[in-house]
Amino acid sequence: MLNVIELERRWLRYKVKSYIPHLSIVISLLIISLLIFTFSSNQENSVKTKKTVPVIATPADIIQKPKEMPKPTVVHKPIEVIQTITEVVPHKSQKIKLEPSLDFMKKMNNSANPYYRNESSINSYAAPYEESAQTEKKTITPKKEVVYEEIRKEKTQQKINIKRQNTQNDIYDIIKRFKKNNNPALSLFVAKKYYELENYRQAYNYALMTNKINKEIETSWIIFAKSLVKLGKKDKATKTLKEYVKHSNSNRASILLDEIQSGKFK
Amino acid sequence: MNSIFVNSKDVFLDIVNAKDYVQLDRVSTIYQSLKDSIKKPLKMILLYGKPGTGKSMFLNKLYQDISTTQEVYLYQTPILDESEFYKTLAQDIFNIKYTGELNFTQFMKIVEQKKEKIVPVVLLDEAQLYSENLMEKIRLLSDTRTVKFVITLHKTEKEDLIAKEHFQTRIWESIELENASSTELKIYIQKKLMKANCFDSANMFTPSSVNKIYKITNGNYRDTNKLLYTLFDIYSIYETNHQLSKVTTNQISPKLIEMSAIHTGLIDA
Repeated sequence: MLNVIELERRWLRYKVKSYIPHLSIVISLLIISLLIFTFSSNQENSVKTKKTVPVIATPADIIQKPKEMPKPTVVHKPIEVIQTITEVVPHKSQKIKLEPSLDFMKKMNNSANPYYRNESSINSYAAPYEESAQTEKKTITPKKEVVYEEIRKEKTQQKINIKRQNTQNDIYDIIKRFKKNNNPALSLFVAKKYYELENYRQAYNYALMTNKINKEIETSWIIFAKSLVKLGKKDKATKTLKEYVKHSNSNRASILLDEIQSGKFK
Repeated sequence: MNSIFVNSKDVFLDIVNAKDYVQLDRVSTIYQSLKDSIKKPLKMILLYGKPGTGKSMFLNKLYQDISTTQEVYLYQTPILDESEFYKTLAQDIFNIKYTGELNFTQFMKIVEQKKEKIVPVVLLDEAQLYSENLMEKIRLLSDTRTVKFVITLHKTEKEDLIAKEHFQTRIWESIELENASSTELKIYIQKKLMKANCFDSANMFTPSSVNKIYKITNGNYRDTNKLLYTLFDIYSIYETNHQLSKVTTNQISPKLIEMSAIHTGLIDA
């Protein structure tokens, strides 16, 4: 006689065995679909994040540009700007202390030393002076002094120049330094700045001080003459320039003299 | 009185009985062609197929059918000893009793002497068990046209080789028997049960249950008989234990089919 109970047990084992492949297929399908779902949702999230980046990184919140200020002479590529902006965002909570760059002062100091060493030589003085003037042209806007501050980022090490108008303070600082060391480069710089700021009286004063310290600085004489014209003392300016041209044979001075005399420069 | 399950179980006992022969369309056609071949002046007829395809049943049925009209001798069990084989044939066909050893030459002399008008038919089942030497002598004997042989062989590589070597040029008729199809299997099962008046159990075989049986047995008659014997045995045990409520009785329970297959070794569990 058959042992039905034992046979039923064997049958149960057989059924369980036969369902294992189906079960494993179902489980593997579930896992695969879950993985696909997770992967696709991750992709969607990453796309969303990418889309939101430009919205978060509004440069206006971080960089305060003066309305009247022209674009900086240093041109950045658009992509670089975006990259810089996106990386500024995480540091939003950290207060960025903007300080004026006084690199040009160092350059001026460097340029002043050769002058003292070779005071009698106009050429030896003029060369470093011109060099410093060219350096300034790179960073300073034509009318107003603009200080660029570089924000260095650790990862990309890309620079961002932030303009800040602080001309008046800078002039005072330079005047203080001029009073300390009596450097004609500093007084000339102050004269030029005052001239740019249309403060012709001060420009005249500092150009005069520069000329007293060093009579051979061409630019100083030109600023001096221009300031006189602007102050309505055209005759005195003409007379001064004539004497300077006679002494130095300066082309720039003679051109300016012609312009003043012809009325081109008012 | 036996229950329907016990009666049904007995129907599928694995015995070769011509009375249990089930008429199926395809099988009937093959059987008719075999009967026709007997009437033809053929030296030898080869009946081959896989085990369990009904070769023995065919041979039995043929013996049953033609024994009334024709001289026919059926040897279901192979006579492996050569002398014994000749002696048996001499006694049965020519009615000559031989006490000593009888070799092929002596037997051939007897055959030549006793040439009869009506050629007797010798049915040899399980011929694959005969030695190659004896098979060669059977071929020579059939060439004399004094005896006609119908032999059955299992279809294996070895038997195919025997068929090629010994009979290929001499056999005029070879018939192959195959497993039943799903439809044939259903007819086979139901006809078998209805022959034994087991109508209720015959009705339990739905197409789905027959398909399940077919998947397990691949339409092999012997395997099907084994499976169904065990199936009804399990049913009868459930009935004895009053546990029939645990299984379906309006149709054959798939669970019990699988249990039967596990028990008979048709399913490896």
